[in-house]
Formats: sequence, C-alpha cells, structure tokens
Amino acid sequence: MSARRGPRPTIDRLRRLLVMLPWLMERGEVPVAEMAAHFQLTEAELVKELELVAMCGLPPFVDEMIDVFIDDGMVFTGVPRVFTKALRLTAPEGFALLAAARVAMQMPGADPQGALARALHKLAQALGDDALVVDGGAPVLAAAVAAAADDSARVRVSYRSASSDEASEREITPRRVFADRGHWYVIADDHRSGEERTFRLDRIESCERTGIVDESRAVAAPSGDDWFADADLPVARLRVPATGRWLVERFPTRSVDADGDGWLVEVSVTDERWLAELLLRLGPAASVLAPPEWVDLGPRTAAELLVAYEADGNVDS
Amino acid sequence: MCGQFGSLTMADALERITNLVALLLETRAPLTLESIANELAGQYPPGEAALRGAFERDKAMLREIGVPIDSEVLGGSEAGRTAYRIDRRRYELADLHLADDERAALQVAVAAARLDEGRFGLLKLGAGGVAASTVVANVPELAALPVLREAAAARAEVTFGYHGAPRTLQPYALLLREGFWYVIGHDLGHQQIRTYRVDRIDDAPEMGPAAAFERPAGFDVRSVFPTDPKLLGDEVAARAVVWVHGQRAGVVVAELGDAAVRERNVDGSVVVEVPCANIDAFRSWLFGLGARARVVGPPEVAEAVVTWLRAMVGSR
Repeated sequence: MSARRGPRPTIDRLRRLLVMLPWLMERGEVPVAEMAAHFQLTEAELVKELELVAMCGLPPFVDEMIDVFIDDGMVFTGVPRVFTKALRLTAPEGFALLAAARVAMQMPGADPQGALARALHKLAQALGDDALVVDGGAPVLAAAVAAAADDSARVRVSYRSASSDEASEREITPRRVFADRGHWYVIADDHRSGEERTFRLDRIESCERTGIVDESRAVAAPSGDDWFADADLPVARLRVPATGRWLVERFPTRSVDADGDGWLVEVSVTDERWLAELLLRLGPAASVLAPPEWVDLGPRTAAELLVAYEADGNVDS
Repeated sequence: MCGQFGSLTMADALERITNLVALLLETRAPLTLESIANELAGQYPPGEAALRGAFERDKAMLREIGVPIDSEVLGGSEAGRTAYRIDRRRYELADLHLADDERAALQVAVAAARLDEGRFGLLKLGAGGVAASTVVANVPELAALPVLREAAAARAEVTFGYHGAPRTLQPYALLLREGFWYVIGHDLGHQQIRTYRVDRIDDAPEMGPAAAFERPAGFDVRSVFPTDPKLLGDEVAARAVVWVHGQRAGVVVAELGDAAVRERNVDGSVVVEVPCANIDAFRSWLFGLGARARVVGPPEVAEAVVTWLRAMVGSR
C-alpha cells in the first residue's frame, strides 16, 4: 500500500509463517528447492525459517513441537495440527486480488468466460461482492501488439504521432505493453531510428507481422512516473501551484519536489506547442524556471491568444 | 533458545507470537493474560507492566496481519478480567475451490496489475512464485481503497473527510477510470448520488456496521458517473459556445458528437456547444486546443477565459 513502512522483519515473517505451515502440512513432504521457489525465498532463508518453526511448541506445550524436519533435500512434516488452514485474506489482500483480476479482465486478449473470469467470480463470492468496476478497455490493436511482443515478432505499423497529424510507416519489435493513467503504450525496438521507443497504442492505426522474428529481449515494465525519463527530449523545469495538482498526477514527470503548497516539476517536452498549451492550462500561478528560452512562453502564448479574443470583439479590451 | 538462528530478540518474538496463536486457537475457554503467561512460561518478560506491554504489542501485530482476536470480560470468580481467544471459523481462509488454471490466471493478473498486497493474497490461495506478464498496468494503490471496497460489499456506511468537510456515504461501488479511483454512492448529507475521488479523501474512512443499506437493484456505476469531466462539478450547469479551427474540427466533432455542432464554416472551422459546468475542466479542455479554439459565448465564460489570460500576461 502507499503508506507502506520500511521493512519489518518480524511481522513479515509471521505473515509468511502462517501461510507456510498449512501449505506444508497439506503436502506432508516437499523438496526444499520447490518450497523455496514457491515462497520466493532462497533455500538458506527457507531452512532458517523452518528451523525456527521446529522450535515452536504446540499446546499444551509439554514437549510437543511443530513437527518439521529436513532430510536429504526434502522437507517433512508429521500429523497436521493447529495450523491446518491459511489465515483468511485481509482487506488489502482481498482488494488487491479483486482489483488485479478486474484490471486484467480489461487487458488485450482477456477471455470473458475464461479461467480468470471464473477465479474472479469465486473470489467475489468469498469476499461478499467485489464492488469494483474498471473502465476503459485496451485499443483494438493491443491484442495483436501484445501477441507480437510475446513472440518477439517484428511488425509493420502505421503510427500517428502527437506533434504531426500525418501517419508514418515503421517497423517495430514490440517488447512490452503497458497502461498508465488511462492510456496504453508499447515499448518497442524501433527499426527506423535503431532505438527503443515508447508508442501510444491508440495512435497505431495498423499492425501487420513482417515474418521476421527478432531475438527475445527482456524490457522492464515502467512504473509510476519514471517511464518517460529515458526519452531523449528537452526538459522544462516548472513551478506549479497547488491547483496544478492534476499535472503531477496525470502527466509523466521526470521529477517532482514539494515547494511550499505547490511543486517543482521537471517534464520532458515533446514540442513547444505542447508546453505552451500546458502553461495555458496551468494559468498565472505557474511559471517556467528553465530553460531560459521558455521562461516567457506562458505569458507570450496568453498575449497572442488575447489579441485574437480582442479581435473577435466579444470582450472589452 | 532460538539465538543460534539469528537475532536473538527477533527470533524470540516470532517464536512467542507463533506459540501465542497456537494457544489461542486451541483453547476451549478464553484465557486471561495471567494464564497466557503461565502457558508460555518464560517467554514473556517478568513484571506486570513489561508483560502487559509485550502482550499488547503482540496483539497489535496479530490484528495488523488480520488475525481476529476476540476478547471478553469475565464474570464469576475472575470478574472484571479480560480473556482472549481466536475463533477458528473467523481465522481460517474458506476454501475457494480454485482450479489450477484459475489460480494461474490470478497469478498473471497480479503480475500484470503489480499490486503488492496481491502477491501475499496469492500465497494464501496456494499460488506461489512470480508469474510473468508482457502486459502490465499501473494501478494506483491507495490506503483508503480496501476499507471502501469492504464497506461497499458489506453495505456498511463510511465516513471520511473530503476537502475538509465530513461526508457520510453509502458506498455502492468503486470505479477505476483513466488512472483514478472513484467511490460512488448515496451521500447522506446531500441526499443524492455523489462521486468522490479516492485520492482526495483526507483521512482513513471509518466503516460502520454491515447491512446498513440496500444498493438499488440494477445499479450501474457507469450510467450514474458523468462520462465527461466537464460535467463533474458542483457549479451550475452551463454550456459554452466555442469556435474551433479547421485543423482540430474533426477531432472535436468526433469527441462531442454532431448534435453539438452549431455552425460549419467554409474554411473548415466549426462552432460547437461544450458543457462547462466545471469551469476548471472546461478551461483545461479549451487550452488543450491552444490557439485553435476560442470561446464565443456566453459572455461570462468568455470573460472568465480572458481574465485568466490577462493574469498570465500580467505575471510576466
């Protein structure tokens, strides 16, 4: 959760322990390696946890301990007692599972009658009604692009960029598809520029496989605000008032620092017109601090627009 | 005796709490702190105050991870003392009867939505390891969301502060739209359906008793939620008339619909009607078109835009 505190070893280990015990008791015996992988621990970490478990007693605590031992790469447990079932789901766990399932149901290629839909139904029944609605499916071509990413297949796309209204043809190898703040993107190897680029999926107008399959390459999924940071674009440094909160929330920013009741924000600028329009929306309380050639851009843009309004004659000049 | 396996105090605490859970799960009658300390001989520090302090910390930790600890005040010979136990029926996870493919699908979903708490939920459901997903989504995690969802599911009222004012809401549903979570429900103060941005909620929502209201049959969150942010506001509904340059006319008409068009000019430009119940949202929309759109009327909207522009020029 967003209010997450730092690592708290005891509580995290306790949570895991109360899941590990019933899991192990249900199986009776399991290879150390398999159990470690299941709980995302190294084998050494798992052995340490199991050694602790073996020190814990069972009521009435006369001499009975939780019966766990390791021999020849296998974990064994005796007759299941006390910790036979996992602890119920907490509210945050239940929410996260339902929300993940709902979000994934909107992803390209999701099958409304498939395994995920069935799992979601069972979860919602157990948790009383999911009460969650996730809006906005992926653009039509998202499934084709995601499938190409799975196969490392090179595709030919027609792409309409934000700055020019004309579509361009290019070959790309999709690597990752992701959604952020209501928009879908694909990170791809762009064979026209020879670089990795991020494209808006709703601006891809066609997508055809070329028959070429490239080597697979892992690309980390970007998160939160960092995903624009690697683009090779000029950066503007802005002072944004409290009313400009939407900028911080909705736009990919390179950095955000609190500044009084507002923020100091760095944004990547795709073109000057985009920045000018952004400044109009932010209004008089926002300002550009750098670079120097844009410090005056907001007032200049407003002055030009005012001239047009006065020429319309609808306002007193 | 756990010292050989690492930090002495930490292993001790973990071992003691595990023993405490086992004891409270197994006991038939609720146990007082005195009997708990007796059963777990030597594991709690000596002295009344130290014992009480350590036990309260353990109890808080257990509640935080979701272990339901019941307490009751005893009568009879132990009158006035508090006794504790864990109700196994409320402790244990009900079997969801998930098939292997369903569990695997949830694993992929959690990998795709990247919600931290979901990974632990998966472990409880018997799904381990990390699945991979080519497609991922950034979904905001907010501290208020789990309790709001639980309240909506349980039909419990919630109270919270919003822009400094207290609200009481019968939550019907949560909606994720364009990267924002909203809670929609019947606002008891306003006596009408209201929509609130969850990230703007001031404090942790408080949840009342379950079954406090009925959700209207056939309630559809999409039909009550304003699809247009320019309609999402408290201001008096109004429409503005806007001239749009030919370069942007196609896009704007596609967005607003043909019914919004008042004039089509030979140069390709159009004059359209646009909702502006929320002047901030309206201005934001208008300036997104830069110099290629201007307000024609009504005068108060044009005046508001011009005042904004003059203030910008003046800030130079």
